[in-house]
Amino acid sequence: MARRKRVTSASSGNDDEVNLTPMLDVVFILLIFFIVTAQFIKEPGPDVERVAVDNHNPVKPLAILIAIDENSDVWIDKEIVDPNAIAFKIRELREDNPNGKLVVQTDADSEARALVELMDVIAETDGRKPINISIDRN
Amino acid sequence: MRGRKQREVEEAAVDLTPMLDVVFILLIFFIVTAVFLDEHAQQLEPPPPQTDTPSEPVPVILIRVDEDNLVFVNNRISDISSVRANIERLRAETPNSAVIIQAHPEAKNRTIIRIRDQAAGANIDRVNVILSDV
Repeated sequence: MARRKRVTSASSGNDDEVNLTPMLDVVFILLIFFIVTAQFIKEPGPDVERVAVDNHNPVKPLAILIAIDENSDVWIDKEIVDPNAIAFKIRELREDNPNGKLVVQTDADSEARALVELMDVIAETDGRKPINISIDRN
Repeated sequence: MRGRKQREVEEAAVDLTPMLDVVFILLIFFIVTAVFLDEHAQQLEPPPPQTDTPSEPVPVILIRVDEDNLVFVNNRISDISSVRANIERLRAETPNSAVIIQAHPEAKNRTIIRIRDQAAGANIDRVNVILSDV
């Protein structure tokens, strides 16, 4: 009798306070999810000056970012990539992220040669489909 | 009596609040940095493969950009802002014609993307880009 009374009083004490453990579980899972997805996309590096235009669409989900700077050099993952090595780099990034979209960030002052040659490489390694060219929204 | 009992229970439990604060700050930081990469884009068709045999000819609106970034629509010089009107006029004459930008290798991409924007304003979905011979 005495034992039963002690158990009920203990459990009623637990009911009084808010149990934070399930919430903490959810928050931890969210935290881990965002940490993992934040590291998925490798930024190309240079700060390109995008062209401001009126017509554009959001690109989601992102997978691969390639930049062309104002000297028409191609950047992937914070380093300048030799034109012959671009296809290899794209395949490497594609393995990490098979479903996302590829976006080319091209500087307004870069040359058409660099863009068209890059698009040619992308079409051969990543499938012949329209290529997203990043623009300035404003 | 009741108040004293509640205080005993609080002292017994581990206080998770500071940890929860830290975890929330981390969570918000990672949410913000994850949303940071928000790209808006225009689409350009890649140049056709070299070995491709020309299929049945389609009427073409050829927009040429020379090395000084001058724009020619079907060989007539045009201002970038009037490219859209030119495309709409030519599409009215010959519907279903494809739009191709033929850029000099040293033309600036600024010009190409602005022309693509003008074509998008004229409801053209697909614009091909090729390089002209030097």
